[in-house]
Order: sequence, then structure tokens, then C-alpha cells
Amino acid sequence: MPELTLSQRIAMLEASQTGDTIPAQQVWDLVEAVKTMFGQHDVSKGAQSTSQLYHELGELAKFISAAKKELQQVKESDIANQQLPTASNHLDAIVQMTEQATGKIMDECDKLSTFHNNIRERLVNMDPPLDPDALAGVDDGITEAMTSITHIYEACNFQDITVQRIQKVVKALQEVERQVLRMVVVFGLMENEGKLDDATKAELQEDAALLNGPQLSGQGLEQDDIDDILSKLL
Amino acid sequence: MPVDKNMRILVVDDAQTMRRIIVNLLRQLGFTNMVEADDGTTAWDRLLAEPVDFVISDWNMPKMTGIDLLKKVRSEDRFKALPFIMVTAEGKRENVIAAVQAGVSNYIVKPFNAATLKEKLTKVVGDF
Repeated sequence: MPELTLSQRIAMLEASQTGDTIPAQQVWDLVEAVKTMFGQHDVSKGAQSTSQLYHELGELAKFISAAKKELQQVKESDIANQQLPTASNHLDAIVQMTEQATGKIMDECDKLSTFHNNIRERLVNMDPPLDPDALAGVDDGITEAMTSITHIYEACNFQDITVQRIQKVVKALQEVERQVLRMVVVFGLMENEGKLDDATKAELQEDAALLNGPQLSGQGLEQDDIDDILSKLL
Repeated sequence: MPVDKNMRILVVDDAQTMRRIIVNLLRQLGFTNMVEADDGTTAWDRLLAEPVDFVISDWNMPKMTGIDLLKKVRSEDRFKALPFIMVTAEGKRENVIAAVQAGVSNYIVKPFNAATLKEKLTKVVGDF
């Protein structure tokens, strides 16, 4: 097989994914590529690489933390009357807002439907009766309007889909944050071995343990805890 | 036999917006007798308490999911033939297979329109 870079191999893997299994040879090629990549590093430079990796992770953790804060500030200024105490409440706010807006759209659709049905009934029952051709023309128009109203209802599907996708993104973001933060703590304890007092070390070890599993509601670290960890290590 | 437009259709979804969309689309299709439940547990209670002719249920719901509701429904002799359509944003093959194995009558992937809903209903209960 010709020499390929790691990114070329990953691209090749992604391109070949069809939702089924990945051929074993492709996985093996990727593993080999990763091994080669790490093998290129001089062993004597291992400590330096670890340090670089730690600082890269630190930057990533700070970026995620800052992005979350920024999101919080934006939302707070947008929803002046609502207090959003934690970042996790943003999702609920988005769900609520889209639900309210969709509800309002559907309320108006209901009114339009009633309005059109009333017009149709009045025209049909007019005395003296309307010219049949004119009545048929108006009836066609009303039917078209009702079809448009149905299309608006169909389009309101977006609300449910949007919420489900946001939930997936938020879950993924939380998982990335947890993993990055855990690595920051693990590397941080090694990097700052001589600088940290025993109490801080114990506290950080406790935090690392907390970050070790999937975060359960009310049992994980809050934003303040995360900021505290970052301030101790970075 | 013509489809009874007054058959009682139970619409199960934790999202109020989705329940409203489905109920409205059913109304546009001429159906007049819809009842709602916001999760599988409430739906199950309704099924036990009152006659229901058709179920349209979401998959992802708290307390009891759509697939668990379907399994529960199929475990009771009296509900073995109850038409049950699953509505979900998850179009994964394994989900469809799981639903078929559990005895689903048909499967709708969100987002959907009135035409799709009509097509699936027709496949289950016949032309209307």
C-alpha cells in the first residue's frame, strides 16, 4: 500500500463509512499510521511532548469554558426578563422559546382555518345564492388557503427536530468538556507536582474522580468548580 | 370497509408542539376523535381506561419510551391487533428493525407531512 498521511487515512475511512462495519484492513492501516506518527517522536523528547500536550489541552479547556460563558452572556441579554442561573438551563430556554413561537404560529393557523371555514359557510348559505361558478372559484381559493395552512403545520416539525438536535450537540459538548478537563487535571497534577500543597492535590484528585464517569444531573461539576480547577492549574 | 373517521386515535408525544401538529394534520385528513398522552406511562393508563382504535407514538419520551409502550401493548392479548404507528427523528436501521420486531404497524421519520401521514395510515387501515 502506498504511503499515506494520517489525515488521508482518516479521510479515506470516513469516505468509506456507510453505516455498516469498517473493513478490518482499514482499521489496521489507521492503527499503523498512528503508531508511525507517535514513533516519529524521539523518546528523549517525550517529556517535552507531554508538556506541550498538557498546555494544548489547557488552552482547549479554557476555550470551552470561555465559549460557554459567552453563550450564557448572550442568552441573558436576549432574555432580559428570565434569569438563567446555569448553562444547562439554556437548552430549556431554547426549547421554551421555540415552543412558544411554534404555539403562536399554530394558534394563528387555527384562527385562519376557522376564518376560512366561516367564509365558506356564509357564501354557501347566501340568500339569494351566489352564482355557482363564482362560488366554485371562491371555494377553490379557500381550499388553496387551507392547504397552505396545512403546510405551515407541517413546517412546524422544525421545532421538535431542532430541540432533539440541540440536545445531542449539548450532550456531546458536555462530554468533550468533561474529558478535556479530566486530562487537564491528570496532566496538571504531574506538571505542578512540587507547586501544589497536599490539600489542593487531594481536591484535584477528587475532581478527577468526579470527571471520570458520565455526568449525572446534580452530581457533576458546575461552572464555578470548573473555573476553580482551571485557576489552580493554568 | 370504509375507514371510520371517528375512530379514536391516541397521539403520544412528550412535546406538546408535536402532538398538536399530528392532531391538526389528522384533522386535515378528516379524522375527528383524537386524544393525547405526553409519555408512554400516561398512554398506557389511557389505553386501559378507555377504548382506543389507533395509536401514533413518538419513540423518545421520558418515563416510558415509545418502543417500551409498543412492547407493553403487544404483550396484552386484547391489544395484539391494535394499529400502532411509531413516529421518530431516529431513522436508524436498528431502530426500525427493533420496532418491527416489537410489532409496529408502520414507522414515520420526522419531519413528515400530511401526505406521508396519510400514506402510512392508509397502509394500516386502508383507503380513506
